[in-house]
Amino acid sequence: MATLTFTAAERRAAYAARRFLGSTLEEKLKLRIPFDVYFQDPPTTPEEAAQAFDTDCLVPWEPGLGDGPTSARFAVVDYDGHTEKMEAPARWDDATDSFVGPDGKRLDRHNTNNPQFRQVNVWAIVQRALEFFETGFALGRRVPWAFEGNRLIVVPQAGPAENAYYDRQSKSLQFYYLGLDDKRFYTSTSTDIVNHEFGHAVLDGIQPYFMESVVPQTAAFHEFMGDLTAILIALRNTDFRQRLLVETRGALRGDTTLSKIAERFGEEVEGKPYLRSAVNKMTMKDVVHDQRPHFMSQVLTGAMFDIIIRLSEYYVKKRGRSAAESFWNTIQRMQGIAIQPLDFLAPIDVTFRDYALAVLRSDEIASPTDPDGYRGMMLDVFIKRGILQDTDRQAFLEPHHVFERLPLDVFHDVSSIASSRADAYRFLDDNRRNLLIPRNADIVVSDLCTAHKLTRQARRLPRQVIVRYLWREDVVLDDVRFGQFAGQLTSMLCGGTLALDENGEVLASTRKPGSEPVGEGEAAVDEQQRGVQRRTAFLDDLARRISAGRIAPPIGSAKGLLAKTLAPLTSRVVDGAIRFELAPHFGIHDDKDEELGGRSWQISS
Amino acid sequence: MADKLLVRAYNVEVGDCFYCRIPKAKKVGPHLEDFHMLVDCGSLAAGTHLKAAVENVETLLPAAAGGKRHLDLLVVTHEHKDHIAGFDAQAFQNITIDRIWMNTAMDPAHPQAGRTLELRRLATIAMRNLAALNLELSPELESLVALYGVANDEAMDALRNTLPTASGITPTYVHAGMTPAQLDVPLQGASISVIGPEHDIDRFYLGADPDGTLFGLAATGAAFSTRPPAPPPVLSNISRLDFQRLQSRMMSSALAFADLSGKVTNNTSIVLLIEWKGKRLLFVGDAEWDTKFKEGKANGAWNVMWHERKNRLNAPLDFLKIGHHGSENATPWNDQEDGQVTEPSTILDAILPRPAGGATAKAKAVVSTKRKNYDTIPRSALLAEIGTRISNVRNYKTALGAEASHLPKFTEFEKPWIGSNQPLRTDCELVLTGVPFVDVEVEA
Repeated sequence: MATLTFTAAERRAAYAARRFLGSTLEEKLKLRIPFDVYFQDPPTTPEEAAQAFDTDCLVPWEPGLGDGPTSARFAVVDYDGHTEKMEAPARWDDATDSFVGPDGKRLDRHNTNNPQFRQVNVWAIVQRALEFFETGFALGRRVPWAFEGNRLIVVPQAGPAENAYYDRQSKSLQFYYLGLDDKRFYTSTSTDIVNHEFGHAVLDGIQPYFMESVVPQTAAFHEFMGDLTAILIALRNTDFRQRLLVETRGALRGDTTLSKIAERFGEEVEGKPYLRSAVNKMTMKDVVHDQRPHFMSQVLTGAMFDIIIRLSEYYVKKRGRSAAESFWNTIQRMQGIAIQPLDFLAPIDVTFRDYALAVLRSDEIASPTDPDGYRGMMLDVFIKRGILQDTDRQAFLEPHHVFERLPLDVFHDVSSIASSRADAYRFLDDNRRNLLIPRNADIVVSDLCTAHKLTRQARRLPRQVIVRYLWREDVVLDDVRFGQFAGQLTSMLCGGTLALDENGEVLASTRKPGSEPVGEGEAAVDEQQRGVQRRTAFLDDLARRISAGRIAPPIGSAKGLLAKTLAPLTSRVVDGAIRFELAPHFGIHDDKDEELGGRSWQISS
Repeated sequence: MADKLLVRAYNVEVGDCFYCRIPKAKKVGPHLEDFHMLVDCGSLAAGTHLKAAVENVETLLPAAAGGKRHLDLLVVTHEHKDHIAGFDAQAFQNITIDRIWMNTAMDPAHPQAGRTLELRRLATIAMRNLAALNLELSPELESLVALYGVANDEAMDALRNTLPTASGITPTYVHAGMTPAQLDVPLQGASISVIGPEHDIDRFYLGADPDGTLFGLAATGAAFSTRPPAPPPVLSNISRLDFQRLQSRMMSSALAFADLSGKVTNNTSIVLLIEWKGKRLLFVGDAEWDTKFKEGKANGAWNVMWHERKNRLNAPLDFLKIGHHGSENATPWNDQEDGQVTEPSTILDAILPRPAGGATAKAKAVVSTKRKNYDTIPRSALLAEIGTRISNVRNYKTALGAEASHLPKFTEFEKPWIGSNQPLRTDCELVLTGVPFVDVEVEA
């Protein structure tokens, strides 16, 4: 077959049209290029070296790729805060469509023992991970970052520490290293760690107010997102999936085939906390009043992994596919099942239950009649884990209209709603009564976007217009249980998400109510009651956080932070009121430091 | 009066300076005389309080030859500014000292403190480099940097050389397990034991470092270099503003070193157990606690003592010098306040048991403190907890009335606990009485 060659202009034209091309054609047209990236971790033995590279790693090309690497959304800055040295950046070589080191040699599996390879490695991982979220099979739109600006700074060898974190304040993903020279382990070469931290960055970008939450489940949801990202991307690797199915090579069907996957998975990921969290039998009962985000997140990660197994089993049993094909189809489908619902979540205080309901709703939109009974299966899984209740099953399975029009006082055309935040605001304001938004709240349209999502078979779903709005309800912390914050003013965030299709049908409407009255009539009274309960829960959660010593400002200078002093939550004063925010989590293992309460953040002097 | 043991806690703000008189405990010829000792003399604040304290100590000491005053024992718990800043030749020129004790980690030649000493050396270089940059530092960081200030060298020089020479003695580096003969403090009806630190400093308080990474990394760290700093790096794909912000949000190994060294130094504090006529008094310096003892790790002193010296520690005290100015990590307790039993809560119940039923507590305690650079030093919740276990308490809400609200950071860090009984605090007592010290007497 003849090789296609293009001019730069032709390639750019193809790039402009890539949304319509499909990944196979993109690869042919060199709009996706292969990179040698460590599949999990760098090999420690020559035997491991053969399998160490991810053979499926295709990374989206851009016309503007530059040294660093630098691309549209990422800037790799290879600065070591310990040595205070900046490494030379990998250079983009147009002629060979690859990055080269300072010596001009191509940076690939034959040229890995240098900082430039690590720069490219981490860049390729996040470049691919971003696409994993932006593709139509997932969110179907460009996702912003939570900070001012569009380039996430990636630091592949930030200094010596057993740490890796996403930090909104410095717009960065920082990866540290352990050990000395020859035996050094760079966290930036561990794909799971990179994907986990990247998951935080993406979630923060699409739901920036989750960081301003004292609800333990919200912090746990952030951890869940990190782990889920790592797991789903890992399972996209063919070799890895095959290793999980290895006992069953040759067998065409059978329950035993796939029921062993969980076991095999657990064995394969021993010692990898971000993947291991999938394999557990925890339920919500096990985490009541817990405050350890990663520990709690396991309930939800485990539930989603259950769904992966059960869906795969279904494909084998009912569709007669091979274990390998079933498993792959499931992983493809999970991208939509797990990521698309994120758009339906209210912008505040997400709980596991919120997510489960969004997962079901999102699936309902993609497949209204659910001929294969997936939703019943997912409900089963969520109920077994205590994330949903039996009453939720009844509500879902009762016959109802899948798409309903929102009763509105004032009609607004969807395309005008979608055109700007100011327009979206007028729509919300004209319909405060219907949307149960208090008259006197000054609401903020925190997000407005349009998504073009796809089903697994690349069928287009109706265009989704997503509006997120919120307001702040004054709260005075007038009780001794608020410790050093007693007597101060803070706010409880309230708000909601409205997702509409192009006909104005409601795809999703989720709200986090406030305690102020929102009108008369049953719905309004109900809503206010829920708001009052929310406020009580907010105060209880906050008091618990305070008494457990989990809020402290970090200690640092222009030359860096004393990592130990960063508590799970920080507080700062904005316009005279306190805001409580999640801090970057330090440490790449489980929350063992959480046991120490407030003391672990104290300096010794 | 004459038969009571006296502990005088001087108000030196954030610091310790404690005088202790054990009555009629020292045999001099046919007579029994009082034994006078001083535990620490330091502060993070300027020196005026310390000078005044030493002058007052002089008035309590018996006359010695050459018109001087005589001090039997000077104990320097550990090498932090808030415990040593007051030691200089001039302040002590009128005092003859019989013995100077320092903890064994302060002995530059101690073979089992080699790594600890190296850690401190590196932390010192890093913190002095940081200080030289003249950056804006938060109050807590200012204190951390101050711990490694040049003034400490002068105080240590006075303690190792000038003061011993002036008294014709050499200092003794003490550790747990030293026999009375080795400690050489012959007392009648009383004894002074050292139950911390353990001799093997590196093993207990720094822990193992199997990869040798701790010091290997120091070799490459710019902060530990004594050479002039390199020019800032050339930036190609981010702005200077973004880079500066990035730097400020990266982990600082220099600060981590300094913090670790500070923690180890606190945990190598001399812990003195004074026994007198059946009474037990504990002076703990700045000893810290952790969840439990872990071999090979950097342990808290309380956990080490509970592990190695339990037979000396596991009994109610009659007096506790509250550690580290009332900080939450220097008195073992359940800081989660959730009723769970932990090793620290067990230790607290052992040394300061809650009186059962309606009984009154017998123990006493005092804390030398002021809320300044650290928001949670003292930790008022801890002081309130201790207040339920001792007898010499004060309700500062009642005692100070409206004055209470003038306590630093009152609303955030005092108010919720101001109505609870607290141990006597040098800062509050000063406001109350105007007297720059707090006396605690223990009766036989």
